[in-house]
Amino acid sequence: MMPSPPNWAQALLRVFVKRADFDCVSGDLLEAYRDTVHPVRGQLAADVWYVTQVLWFVIRGARISATLFAAAFLTRTALDWLVPPLDFHARSTASTLLGVGLLLATGLQASRRSGSLLAGTLTGVATTAIAAIVSVVGAAILLTIWHGAGTMAAIRASGGLGEVFELPILMILPGAVLGTLGGMAGAMIKRPGSSQ
Amino acid sequence: MADRLGAFEQAVLLGIVRLGEDAYGRAILREVQTRLEREVAAGAVHATLERLEKKGVISSRLGPGTPVRGGRARRFYHLQPSGLRALNDARAAIDSLWHGLKWPLRGYV
Repeated sequence: MMPSPPNWAQALLRVFVKRADFDCVSGDLLEAYRDTVHPVRGQLAADVWYVTQVLWFVIRGARISATLFAAAFLTRTALDWLVPPLDFHARSTASTLLGVGLLLATGLQASRRSGSLLAGTLTGVATTAIAAIVSVVGAAILLTIWHGAGTMAAIRASGGLGEVFELPILMILPGAVLGTLGGMAGAMIKRPGSSQ
Repeated sequence: MADRLGAFEQAVLLGIVRLGEDAYGRAILREVQTRLEREVAAGAVHATLERLEKKGVISSRLGPGTPVRGGRARRFYHLQPSGLRALNDARAAIDSLWHGLKWPLRGYV
């Protein structure tokens, strides 16, 4: 019996690769896994190799939305620190709507690309998880640049440092929910020329 | 004027040239890894092939799978005339940059 990579990783690949390309891409990876990687490195290392290859597609699939999401978060953070408003309500509403819209659109686009409803959920998670890393690192850089008394007062007034570093991570769950909703919308919109 | 090619695009295209009729994703990946002497993500090669095909530099057709691939289809790639021009231009640009210099460089630092 020929060795096989983890089923969940193959399922994840299906979600992040275009339907039309899945057979060729997964076939190429499976061939490399069985032909070269597994015989040389053994089961565990070969599985790690396969998962790493799949993660490349995951990151590629979510990179644009994650960049936009992180950019929105960091822009909002910088504005709150440098141009603090008297009332945060309008700014919060605008940034929340932007984030929600972005995640819905990401889920919709992902499910239409792969033809899988799950794609919306997983892309929402990948988007917010990658954005969380970028946002936390970006916020730390902003803090290194701007940490005067006025800025620290503005940070306290806008929710404190805890919010700056925890909010991006807390967004992963809403990212899953909104990505799923976007994915459901994408599944309901029939693709032009699709027979499904 | 033909499209300007990046170094990785050239590696992929030259892989297709070398492999001829056997240029499909996995074989191209192996060829690129061998020539560059480093591990390359399969996704990077696929993304490059997709981009080059969109540019019209290469074309592709589906071929049959094999048992080791679980019967999954292979996509075979072929160089197009614009791809050939782009590769020749890239080589000419490198030759022009190096014109008059001895390789390997010695004595400049």
